[in-house]
Formats: sequence, structure tokens, C-alpha cells
Amino acid sequence: MLTLAGISKSFPGVRALSGVDLKVRPGEIHGLLGENGAGKSTLIKVIAGAYAPDEGEMRFADAPARWSSPRDAKRHGVHVVYQEFALFPQLSVAENIFVGQERRNRLGLVDHARTRRDARELLERLGVLLDVDAAVSSLSIADQQMVEIARAMVHNVKLLVLDEPTAVIAGREVALLFDRLRRLRESGVSVLFISHRLDEVFAICDRVTVLKDGRLVGTHEIADVTRERLISMMVGRELGDLFPARSAEPRSGETVLRTEGVAVGERVRDISIELKAGEIVALAGMVGAGRSELALGLFGGVPILRGAIHLNGQRFTSMTPARAIELGMGLVTEDRKSQGLAMLLDIAANITGPALSEVARRGLVDRRLENEIAAREIGRYRIACRGPATKVATMSGGNQQKVIVARWARICKSVLILDEPTRGIDVGAKAEIYRIMRELAASGVAILMISSELTEVIGMADRIIVMRAGRVTGELAGREATEESIMRLATSERAA
Amino acid sequence: MTAAVSARMEMPWRLRKHTGLAGVLILIAAVSLVGGLVSDRFITLNNFLNVFEQTTDLALVSIGQTLTILSGGIDLSVGSLISLTSCLTSGLINNNPDRIIPVVIGVLALGMLVGFVNAGLVVALRVHPLIVTLGMGAVLQGVTLLYALGPVGRVPRGFNFLAYGRVYGLPLGATIAVLLCLLIALALRNLPLGRQVYALGDDTNSARLVGLRRTRILMLVYGCSGFCCAATGLYLAARFGVGQPYTGVNYTLASITPVVLGGTLLSGGKGGVIGTLLGAFLIALLNNLLNFMDVSKHYQLVAQAVIIILAVSVYVERRRTV
Amino acid sequence: MSERLTTSVELPRPDASSWSLRALLDRFGMILILPVLLGIGGSMSPAFLSLDNLSNLLLQFAPLAIVAIGQAFVMIVRGLDLSVASMMATAAVIATSLSGSAGGVMTVFAAALLVAVAVGLLNGFLVTKRQVSPFLATLATMILLQGFRFAYTQGAPSGNVPALLRVLGAGKFQGIPYNALILLALAIVLTIVLHRSAFGRRIFIVGGNPVTGRLFGIPSDLIMIACYVISSCLAGVAGLILSGYVGLVDNWVGQGYELDSIVACVVGQVSLQGGRGSILGALTGAAMIVIIANEVLLLGVPIQVQLIIKGAVIVIAAALYARREASSVA
Repeated sequence: MLTLAGISKSFPGVRALSGVDLKVRPGEIHGLLGENGAGKSTLIKVIAGAYAPDEGEMRFADAPARWSSPRDAKRHGVHVVYQEFALFPQLSVAENIFVGQERRNRLGLVDHARTRRDARELLERLGVLLDVDAAVSSLSIADQQMVEIARAMVHNVKLLVLDEPTAVIAGREVALLFDRLRRLRESGVSVLFISHRLDEVFAICDRVTVLKDGRLVGTHEIADVTRERLISMMVGRELGDLFPARSAEPRSGETVLRTEGVAVGERVRDISIELKAGEIVALAGMVGAGRSELALGLFGGVPILRGAIHLNGQRFTSMTPARAIELGMGLVTEDRKSQGLAMLLDIAANITGPALSEVARRGLVDRRLENEIAAREIGRYRIACRGPATKVATMSGGNQQKVIVARWARICKSVLILDEPTRGIDVGAKAEIYRIMRELAASGVAILMISSELTEVIGMADRIIVMRAGRVTGELAGREATEESIMRLATSERAA
Repeated sequence: MTAAVSARMEMPWRLRKHTGLAGVLILIAAVSLVGGLVSDRFITLNNFLNVFEQTTDLALVSIGQTLTILSGGIDLSVGSLISLTSCLTSGLINNNPDRIIPVVIGVLALGMLVGFVNAGLVVALRVHPLIVTLGMGAVLQGVTLLYALGPVGRVPRGFNFLAYGRVYGLPLGATIAVLLCLLIALALRNLPLGRQVYALGDDTNSARLVGLRRTRILMLVYGCSGFCCAATGLYLAARFGVGQPYTGVNYTLASITPVVLGGTLLSGGKGGVIGTLLGAFLIALLNNLLNFMDVSKHYQLVAQAVIIILAVSVYVERRRTV
Repeated sequence: MSERLTTSVELPRPDASSWSLRALLDRFGMILILPVLLGIGGSMSPAFLSLDNLSNLLLQFAPLAIVAIGQAFVMIVRGLDLSVASMMATAAVIATSLSGSAGGVMTVFAAALLVAVAVGLLNGFLVTKRQVSPFLATLATMILLQGFRFAYTQGAPSGNVPALLRVLGAGKFQGIPYNALILLALAIVLTIVLHRSAFGRRIFIVGGNPVTGRLFGIPSDLIMIACYVISSCLAGVAGLILSGYVGLVDNWVGQGYELDSIVACVVGQVSLQGGRGSILGALTGAAMIVIIANEVLLLGVPIQVQLIIKGAVIVIAAALYARREASSVA
């Protein structure tokens, strides 16, 4: 269906792709793997018609393909669902699906009834039930993703490119997605599936291609490779165990954080949990279970409606970020770019951000001290950059995440909350962050890690708290937990 | 079982579209109520018709402005364009009834053309519409002054009908404004390009990723705005009998208030022209009330400002640059 | 994890260290356009570069520059202040109506300051606590002030501008206009505040992303309100100075300054999206406007054409800077 031969693409200062070959057969689900910076997004953009390759040839459906624009590519049957959705929050589901490809009546005017009917039909074909008049902003992220895919299906899509589709969904929703992809495959549609999650690649893909540093490393049938082989292809070396060894006895001290019947936002209710110094507690559950809201509530980002937080022995019925920081808490947010980083500033400013008073002498910022601090952290966490003055916007996801973790690790004395800390970053950086977490725990900080990746949860946590629909459904000891036991708690009714 | 993914209960579709109008309608009712208490001449058909008539100029220009704001931009050249078109109208017709039709057509076409140029510059130079239309406004004011340093030309007697005439008891100018408004409302709802205006204003980035033709959408939007300004200029020429080079100055910022009062978000993507029309009516009604109350003209300004503040505190805006 | 430099796949900007020539040019280069513009003026007429003319330019430049600085603070924090011109006029009206009162000039200053702070607080409150768009909030404040001003003066302001203001506004100290000295002092202090202090750093963080700012423990709302107060106060100062320069007062002192100050900032690379900009940029932009306006005047060009040129310059300058911004953001 799609053939790329010798594709190269460069930008000022960087050679993003060199001589990449790729073949996607009709009716196959083809995985694309690679670390951040390996060239996956550039390749997608070339396939989608957003970039023109400098060298090489592309063929689609047995004909030469030279897309003049994404519109052109779409017209020929190539459709991309990006990681950051291209949705319109205030428009309805039906309108979002048909924007740019509106359903018209004989007069050329928009046929509203048909739009809504067809939208409903497309969603049904995917097995999704939604109110097509609802504003897209009111939907869960998983549903929004379905709207995006429905949009792709409006015209005869021959190749569907999915960029990290499971980054924001988990468990049963992933299974559903795979179901729908298989249905598409049966109807002859090809899928190019880009993901970091090896388990999922193994679950759904027929063949897989690995990119590294803009070059093709290899393409294999999924049955012919193992996890370790794929990792070594992506990283260039055997990584060994991803997760640092757990200490024999979880060294936990006294309770650092305790919540008492806390309620936050619309759904999170009656949360009573405990965090002890030195332990890593994972907060597991499906997307939408309310974990991020709870995290924000603990940190003071959103108000607590009921209940109290006990931190370092003091009792609080309300919290603000400033107070939380003062008490030694830190929060690594879910979304790096829109919540976690000051994107316009450099590494130094991002590291000292919440602790500005530390580097302030009589109201003025001591830049030299700030740079020193930053340089120290850069060295400690092996952040790849050109120095403390590097603008964070130019850095890869993994390095950006390291900056954020460095920032909090430095000042966190009591609790560090991490929300999906390894989402969307490459394997190498992941390993680093796990190492950092273990070190912090060893130094006495209580760690609360929100994660939807069960291997990560099982690999890292001393204790696992599971949430569903805003409440805690159960707790498991890290050692004994299995994927099934966690999923059972994440999807069951409230345990007695 | 499956994590039930459900949207929040959404109101029936029809109602959802109209909740933006609730605010302005309530305010109109409130002002009418107060007016009724102040004077028994307030809530009469005659008075309302007068207010309706006085809405015309603001309504015309604000309707065009609604489109630009819906698309996520703004048009700051409206004032100057109004001045230019009103001067050209009276100057070119110059008391010659034969010229009326060609000049009217020409002026309207000119308005659209200016709009197209605005849109073209926004796309070609990749500059925010605020800046482009601000610059264009200055240019147009200069051109106007080149044409006329003071009141110019004359409009023949018959032309005044546009402003003062009544058709079946309804003021002609205002009725035309209403018809124009309805036409545009229908276009926005039923033309694919109309729906895309909302999309563009809602999220420019998504619009780009989806492949919407921004140029085309902006041409439509700014072209309409220019057309509406030209219409306003024609109307003013009819009303005053003569065009003046500074006549449009206040309309630039004034055209934004009815848009906001009518429920359109300044950040774009939500709202509509019907609300704007009601917003313009509300402002005229308010001024009328203040006249009845014999309030000094100066305090009228204060009252307007307070109303704006109250009204927008009700609608929560999304954060954006403008 | 390898030690190599990881670059994002999107257009990365070569990241210069603080002191390379490239970086210096990047940050301060725009000021080079000023000598060029002055040179053009000089070639049009040698008198342009005379000390007399230059100090006249300064006299016109100072009030606009002061307002532009305030506007920069607000723009960096993702806002806009349309009420500055109205604030200037209000300050001017206060100056004349209170000039005869006991306490003299000090009363004038105190009253103007009070009003400015109140206006800034109102603007800030509307924008932060009521989520009103800055455009609309400051538009409303502008109209509000206008209304009060007209009502207070009954349309015809009276009174004299206090002598001190006339000196500060139009007088010179050894050839350098007083108002330029005031500008200099303000510019230096505010540059330190914006670019070197913790408060200034917080302004940039909040302006770049208010959510991130809040999660850093920064009181975003307070920072924004502070910026609006700064803008109003600077507008008040500029109004007082301008009324001193003009010598008489009407209700329209400072007319056009709101848009001019925004243009000065945009041309001076202060971004409308927030989070980016500098005092130097605002000053450069204001200087460009004043110099070009005067050169156009020199050409004996009638006001109509002046306006046309002004409009064209605005658009072209913004286009050039937009192009630079687009290519430099990763």
C-alpha cells in the first residue's frame, strides 16, 4: 500500500531522516518504533504531506505519491491522527467529524440532519456511543480520540496513521481501540501504529519497523522478534532490566501525608490514603478515575471540597501550591508543555521556578547562582543540552521531563507526586527517571506515582492504590500485585 | 463494565445554540422594565420603533465585526472605512440622482475589496489581524482625507429615504439591517464555509492540521465586514445628507460592544450575528432610557461602560491575546 | 543515556550562550535601526540632526515611551491596556482642576496616583477575578474614565497647568529635556525590575503560561494586577508630563496613545501572545514611531499621506518581526 524508498529530510542544523525505507502492506497493522528524536514525527509528516522529502520516493496504492499538502494526501486516502488532537473544543462531535468535509444537500448547503446521522453511524461502526451534539470539550480524552478516528473514516481511508494512540488511554479502552483497529484491518485498511509501548505493539501489530537517529534499523514480522531485541534495536544497546532493583525491605518511615475523606472536583470523593517516608506508592486506575484531579487537589492546584490533608503533622482543610511547596511537596504534572514547563524560558529558570526566593538577593535574581544550581542538576541527571541557558522548547520530551523532575527533586523534602512521569518519552530517559525516583525514595521522600502503564506500576511500586470513578477501590502490596489484580480493582465496583 | 464514557448531559441542541442570547434578552427586558417605570411613553410602539431606527448604524457595522471576531480576529479598520465610504457616497453622487445606483454598487464593492485586502495581508504577511487592520485603518483614514478634508458633496433628496423612510411602518434602514443579519446568520449556519468560520475561531491550530482553507475563510469574513462598513457609510450619508471624513472614528471600538453583549466570545468560535443585533438594540435602548431620565450625555458613557462590565462578567471567556 | 546533544525534530534554534556576538545582536540588534532612521532624517535635512531638533524629538518621545513601557508590562503578562490614553487625559484634567488647591503640586500628584492605582486595580480585577478579556475590560475602563471626565468638567476643562509640570514637561536641563530625564530614570528602574528582579521573572513565567505560574506557587493573579497598576501609573505620569508640554488641557490629552503604545511594543518585539519582550524593545518601538513621524512631517507631506505611511509602517514592521519570531521559535 505504502512504499517509502530512501527518504531523507533535513532541517537547518539537523538531519531528521536519512535514507529511510518503509513498506506497509494493504490490510496490515504496522508498528513504528523509535526513541524520541529517532525521526518518527518527521516521517509521519512526510507521509501525511505536511513535509516534502528532500530525497527519496514515495508510492501509495501502486502510484507515485507526491503530496502537495495534507489535504492532498487525505484526498488520496492517507489520514493521520496526531497525538495532540486536531479537535475544536466548542464545536459538537458531529461538526468536528465533518469539519472541512461537510455533508451537503443538493443546493450545496450544509445538511445538518445528515451530518448528525452520518456521525452517529460512523461512531457506531467503531462501537462508540456518544451524543453527537455534545461539545467535544465535554468528552473524555478516550472519546475525543474516537471522534478523531471517526473523522478519518469519513472518506475512504486506505492508510490510517496513529501517533501514540494509547498515550492517553489504558486497559479496557486500549482493548476496545485494538478491536476497532482489527475491524478496520479486516476491511482492507492499513494502519501505521506508532507507539512506545512494546506490549501493545506486540498485541496488535503484524510487522514492526524500528528507527534510530533518522535511519532505518530494521523491519520484522512481529512473530520473529522479542522485546529485548526491539529495545536493543531502538537504543543501540542491551538495556537490561528497565527498573532499578527494589530494596529488599521497603524502607518506609513514618507517615508523611495522610488524607481524611478528601473530595475534589466533580467526582473524586472520600479519599483516605496514607504515604510513608521512603516508599513509592503507585496510584493506578483507568483514565478518568480521578487520579490527576486528586493529585492537583493535594498540591493545591484545585480546591478541596471536603476533608483534610495531614502533612508533616499539620492539618489543612485547604491548600495552595505556594503552601504545598513550602511544606516540601512537589508535583510533576501530566502535561509537560501546558502545565509543567515555562516553555519560553531556559533550563535555569525552569529549575529554580518554584524556589525563586532561593536565588533572590534583595529582590534581584542572582543569575550566577542560578546557573550554578542548574549546571549541577544537568550533570546529576545527565540532561542533554548546551548548558543552563538552553531554551527548554528546543529539548526532547525525555530531557524536558528530566528538567521537571530535577526541579522538584531538588526542593522536595516530604512528598513528590508524579503524574504519568514517563508518558511519551523514550526508553533511555525512562530508565533515568526510575533511577531518580528510587534515589529520592531512599533519601526519605514519599513518592506518589500516577501511572496507567501496568508494567511500570508493578515494576516500581512498593504499594499500589487503585482508584475507580473517583474513589479508592483497593490497595495492593507491590510485590504481590499482578496486572489482573490491579485491573480487577480498577474496573470493579467499590470493594467493601 | 466498560468505563462508561459518557458526555455530560447536554441540553437539547436547539436550546444550546441559543443560550448565548439569554443574557442580552434579559438585559433588554430589564432596561425596558426600568424604562416603563420612568415614563409611560417608554414602552410604546412608537418609542421602540424609534429606538429600532437608531440601532441601524451600529447594527450594520457590528454585524460585520461579529464575523471577524468569530473567526478569531478583529477588524479595527471599520471606522476609517465608514468615513471613506460615506464621503465617497455623497461626493460621487453629488446631488445627481442618476448616479445613485452605480455609486451604491461601487461603494459596496469597494468595501468588500478592502476586506479582501485585509484578509490577504493577514495571510500573506502572517501578522495578527489586529495589527493589519489597525494599519489599514490608518491608511484608509489618510485616503479619506486625501479625498475630502471636510464635508463633501451632497446627497439628493430621495436618498434620505434610506435613513428616514418607513416601509409598512418599519424604518427602512433598520429593516435592511435585520434582513442582512438574517442572511448572514443563515449563511453562517448553512454554508460549509460558514461552519468553518467557527472552527477557525475555535482553534486555529486544529484548523491548520485539518487542512481548512484559512485564506478562503478570512476572505469571506473580512469581505463581509468591509461590505457592512460600506453599508454603514451609505446609511450615514443618507442620514446626514453629506459625508464627513471623521464620521466613522468612534465606530471602531463601539462596534465591539454589541458583539460581546450578544454572547459572542472575543476569543472566537462561539456566538452569532443575531445576538449582536440584539446587543446593538440594547445599547440604543439604553441611550434612549438615559435620555428619558434626562441624564447628562456624559453619564451615558459611564452607564455604557458599566453595562459592558456587567454583561461580560456573566460570560466566561477563554484566555487569549485579545 | 548517550551524552550526545538531543535535538528535537522540529526546527531547533541554535542556542547561543549569553555572550556570543550572535546573541547580543539577537537581543539588542533592533536598536541599530535607530541610527539608520536618524541618518535618513539627516539626509533629508541637515537640521534634522541638530541638537535643537533632537531634543524636540526627545520631548515628543518621552511621554509615548513611558506609556509604552507600561504597555509592555501588561502585554508580557498576556494582556492589553486600552485605557492608557483615557488615564493620561484624566491625569491631565486632575492636574488643572486641582492646581490651585492647598498643597499645590503634591496634591495633584497624590490625586493622580490614587486614581491611577484605582484604575489599574479595576483593570486587573476584571481580568483576573472576572475572567474578562483584557481588550474588553480596559475598553470599558477607558469609557468609564471618559464619562467621569466629561461629567466632571462638563465638557470644558478649565484651570491652569501647574507651573512645575510645565517645567517638567517642556523645560530643559542643560539642553536635555526634563521629561527625558524622568523617562531615563523610570526606564532604568523598570528595566531592573522587569529583567533582573524576582518579580520580573515571575511576570515572564506567568505571562508565558499562567497555569505553570500558579503551579510554581506564584500568585498569578496578583502579578497580573500589579502589571495593570504599573501601566496605569505610568500612563498617569505621562499624562501629567504631556499636559505640561502642551501647556493647556482638553479632554483629549494623549489621544491615540493607547494604540500607538501597542504598536510601539509590537514593533519592539513585545509579543501579543505574552511571555516575551523587553523594555528596550518598547523604547525602540516608540522611538521608531516618533522619528518616522517627524521625518514624514519634514517631507512636507500632508497629514493624509502621513496617516497612510503610518499605517503602512505598522503593518510592514509587524510583518518583519512576525517572520523573525516564526523562524526562531522551536
